[in-house]
Amino acid sequence: MRLGNVIGHVTLSRQEASYRGGRFLLVQPWNAANYSGDDKPQASESTLVVYDQLGAGVGSIVGFTEGSEAAKPFPESTPVDAYCAAIVDKVFHQLPK
Amino acid sequence: MILARIDGVVVATVCHPSMQGRRTVICQPLNEAGAPEGAPVLALDAHGAGQHQRVLISTDGAAARAMVGDEHSPLRNTVVALLDAS
Repeated sequence: MRLGNVIGHVTLSRQEASYRGGRFLLVQPWNAANYSGDDKPQASESTLVVYDQLGAGVGSIVGFTEGSEAAKPFPESTPVDAYCAAIVDKVFHQLPK
Repeated sequence: MILARIDGVVVATVCHPSMQGRRTVICQPLNEAGAPEGAPVLALDAHGAGQHQRVLISTDGAAARAMVGDEHSPLRNTVVALLDAS
């Protein structure tokens, strides 16, 4: 799982039937600098579209999983490869001195 | 498996049921020399790893699902070992 900032939503007009009831968030993944409080948007990481059932809003930090594990939380097989697993309340991070 | 160092903890009350009540730690992957390499990842910790403890992370989703006992869990990374100070 990785953390990311929600920077927007994606609204679909036509979609996979198995996507019903889900929302799509535009997420900017964090890199090492973001964890220690630096919130400059990093150019290297590409913005992802993450499937969300928890109701994360723009500006919140979410924990999302990718790959085959992201397709697991569905009753039938669903083509999802980025799934929002958590809306983060607090990040405690400290580098060793 | 990945050699990593625990750099922090993440608290998320709204999350997938398989994560509720479990500890989510921030793991910074380390290279063979022990220096940080790459972006941190989050893992589920069942062994109570301390801050800046070096650990081994498994990236096997099936083991993570078996650990939380939920076949629909989206989790992959779990802390499987705590390293002794070498």
